Amino acid sequence: MKRVVINPVTRISGFMEVSADIDNNIVSDARTEGLLFRGFEKMLEGRSPFDAVYFTQRICGICSTAHSIASTLALENALGIVVSEQGRYLRDIIHGCEFLQNHIRHFYQYTAPDFVRLPEGNTLFETDHIDFRLPKGKNDRIARHYFDSLEYSKNAHEMLAILGGKAPHNHGVFIGGITTQATTEKIARLRLLLQGIRQFICDSMLPDAYTIAEYYREYFNIGRGYGNLLTFGCFDGYEKLGTLYVSPSTYSDGNIMKLNPGEITENIHSSWYMARQETYTPFETIPEPDMKKSDAYSWVKAPRYRGLPYEVGPLARMWLCGGYRNGISAMDRTLARALEAEKIANIILTLLDNLIPGVDVQKEYEIPQSACGAGLTDTTRGALGHWCKIDKQVISLYQIITPSAWNLSTRDRDNLPGPVEKALIGTLIKNPDTPVELGRIIRSFDPCVSCATHVYSKGKLIKTMQVVP
Amino acid sequence: MNDHEIFINMINDNLNEMGDTIDCLYTTSNSCVKNKLLNRLRKNMSNIAALAQGLQNGAGANSPQAGAGRMFTPEELSRYNGRNGNPAYVAVNGIIYDVTNNAAWGGATHFGLTAGTDVTNQFASCHAGQPVLSKLKVVGKMPR
Amino acid sequence: MNNANNCCPIFSARLETASVLVQKAADAVRQKRIRKRNLIWLELTGCSGNIISLLDGANPDFKCLATQLVNFIYDNSLMAAEGDSAMEKLFGVTGSDYILAVEGAVSIKDKGLYNIIGRWNGQPITAYEAIKRFGEQASYVIAVGTCASDGGISAARPNPAECVGIQGLLGKKVIKLPGCPCHPDWFMGVLAYLMLFGEPELDSRQRPLMFYGTLIHDICPRRPCFDQGIFASKLGEKTCMFKLGCRGPVTRVDCPIRKWNDRVNWPIGDDGPCIGCAMFGFPDKMEPFISYNLT
Repeated sequence: MKRVVINPVTRISGFMEVSADIDNNIVSDARTEGLLFRGFEKMLEGRSPFDAVYFTQRICGICSTAHSIASTLALENALGIVVSEQGRYLRDIIHGCEFLQNHIRHFYQYTAPDFVRLPEGNTLFETDHIDFRLPKGKNDRIARHYFDSLEYSKNAHEMLAILGGKAPHNHGVFIGGITTQATTEKIARLRLLLQGIRQFICDSMLPDAYTIAEYYREYFNIGRGYGNLLTFGCFDGYEKLGTLYVSPSTYSDGNIMKLNPGEITENIHSSWYMARQETYTPFETIPEPDMKKSDAYSWVKAPRYRGLPYEVGPLARMWLCGGYRNGISAMDRTLARALEAEKIANIILTLLDNLIPGVDVQKEYEIPQSACGAGLTDTTRGALGHWCKIDKQVISLYQIITPSAWNLSTRDRDNLPGPVEKALIGTLIKNPDTPVELGRIIRSFDPCVSCATHVYSKGKLIKTMQVVP
Repeated sequence: MNDHEIFINMINDNLNEMGDTIDCLYTTSNSCVKNKLLNRLRKNMSNIAALAQGLQNGAGANSPQAGAGRMFTPEELSRYNGRNGNPAYVAVNGIIYDVTNNAAWGGATHFGLTAGTDVTNQFASCHAGQPVLSKLKVVGKMPR
Repeated sequence: MNNANNCCPIFSARLETASVLVQKAADAVRQKRIRKRNLIWLELTGCSGNIISLLDGANPDFKCLATQLVNFIYDNSLMAAEGDSAMEKLFGVTGSDYILAVEGAVSIKDKGLYNIIGRWNGQPITAYEAIKRFGEQASYVIAVGTCASDGGISAARPNPAECVGIQGLLGKKVIKLPGCPCHPDWFMGVLAYLMLFGEPELDSRQRPLMFYGTLIHDICPRRPCFDQGIFASKLGEKTCMFKLGCRGPVTRVDCPIRKWNDRVNWPIGDDGPCIGCAMFGFPDKMEPFISYNLT
């Protein structure tokens, strides 16, 4: 048996270590750990509820808009505010731009270097493995798109800024929709930029994704995980437009079911936390750190739905809306993400068509003495939930369960590994000295560790891990 | 250097700047630059007006006889937090100042300080020697 | 969008600062008058949003930076290598000349174990160790963003990970580029300036005057509203945001003219107040961000 440790896992957002036991070239066990702590949930206590919108965005630099959306939904729920249809369109256009920015960057800057040789003479692009299979022409085309894509991911953020002020960390998303109004000039500019992005997705990104899939076919058979999928829904339930993408739902054992948010729990069996009970619902408690707990191995908690681990993200959404049913694997995740990019571009186009220029969706808001609210939405990387309690007009409890916490979750009492761990276990590693499969499977989930380990915890006692021959 | 001399120096600085600006105005033909320069003149004028007011108040920054006004208790002061129709007041060295429309007091707060409180110590640690207070309206006193 | 300021020659000249500097530096590298410098970008205790902001650079852009200006050696978010081979690249710079850019604060609690950035020879490398080791040897250290500059949101009360800005841990001068995130122009302009002329002129808080010399309030297009007392009482209005808690009057940076994302918009242009993200003390001393019902 050989234990392989990869740290840092690069081309993700944040810091992560993976350790895998490899037995006869098969991964027999795997553990993922996030390596960054800031403690946002603790920081938010005692602050003005309004500030949560701008504050929680700083959890993550690549998906900041997601947190502004979820915190706004939680506040609207707490304050009893019903958002106008135009307010939703405006906000969802901003959210859509975040999807586009993320997916384009994740595909070209984070995923492509796993499969494509990038130009020599640049230290940033040097690798230590040699599993590059694309013929030169196709390889160089994708390598060229690595740089071309920067223009379009940048443009997606520019679109976001037209309505949201700036990106990353926008100012536009707020209670009621967004702060400003659409103008004909803004809508025209958004349309123009979107057209270019959509064309790039269709003409470059999708063919490139299929090219990679064609030369790395075995990735359709590895990295499956449980096959349990979950979404909180997004771009759904519009008064006039209906559901443009996917409603809150789950998939397990061949069945698609409606999501019941009441059955979401977090478990701390294998995490360094202490609470009155091991399993709790989001509003119940923020567990206190406890480093002495003997059977814990991580500070990422274990979100569960009906007691089971669920995978979240673009594949889950595309599967649940019926738009992609090829399979569940590392390569299917990458394809579903690229296909979703096109879908989101189309949704933004529909929303732009339905915008009415000049509608002001803002009011003066008042914070109640006490209230509580939940904001559940699907975002780039999957299901994101913010749960907020207000007491004496300030935040008294703020719970955040991120998409990457679902995917990178730890084992609960049943000893079921988290979805990413499960996807790694059983994988055939061709060359245990350069286990390139591990990073590729992990990246297919697009983990964001800045998000997953934002939670409050004491420092971990680091045990030295060596490669065990 | 006492407050009086500081004030006179600052007025002179402003006058010098105004001289330079007027020289520039003679040479520029660009309307954008011209507007900018005129704005600067206006700013100098308002500075001088504020400084003159300060001198009239006896270079009033720390002078106790300024703005004779009413007496406040800490409880009364705390009501003037800048919200719900109340102006925003702060106390420095026993004098109450109105910061309701002071630009640096957005949200009736200033670098974590809130209106309606005594900020004497924080003032001393950040603005000692700066003629900040002379630009503020004095509204009363508070026994220390 | 809002091009009201762009016709002023003073403003347009200032807007060109970054692109002119980067172009000059790229020309000088091409003509071999100066050499390409090695660049290490460390993401420490933060959100890794400054590297994303750098990718949003329009003119100058990231491609120009990575291919013409510097030899980009290390960045966790972008580099192709992973694990040991990534760390070999980082530790390989020891003894050579390099410029260090740092985003994120540094957690110092429990010897820095709150943030581990990789493993070297089987041992975890904390952000704390990394900044000590690579900061002291660097030719220049640039703090990119508010967290690296002054602790920022990572150090927000009660500061669970005990985060600090990087200057406190280094015996050498750090050039600070606060902003949440740092504008790509600020970073690339300063980097090019360093390569061409050495250290730029800094203010008392170590911020380059070429970008941090003006108060937002003094160049705000809504200043006339403030002067005349025309205030917004809710978001979405086109007047002065002062009565909603705007921090423009205490924040020094050129945001109103430079704007964001290809100069398309900025927070006040989006009809919301400035939250002082480029100012020391952000976020604790800049809160509340939004207040209603002010007198």
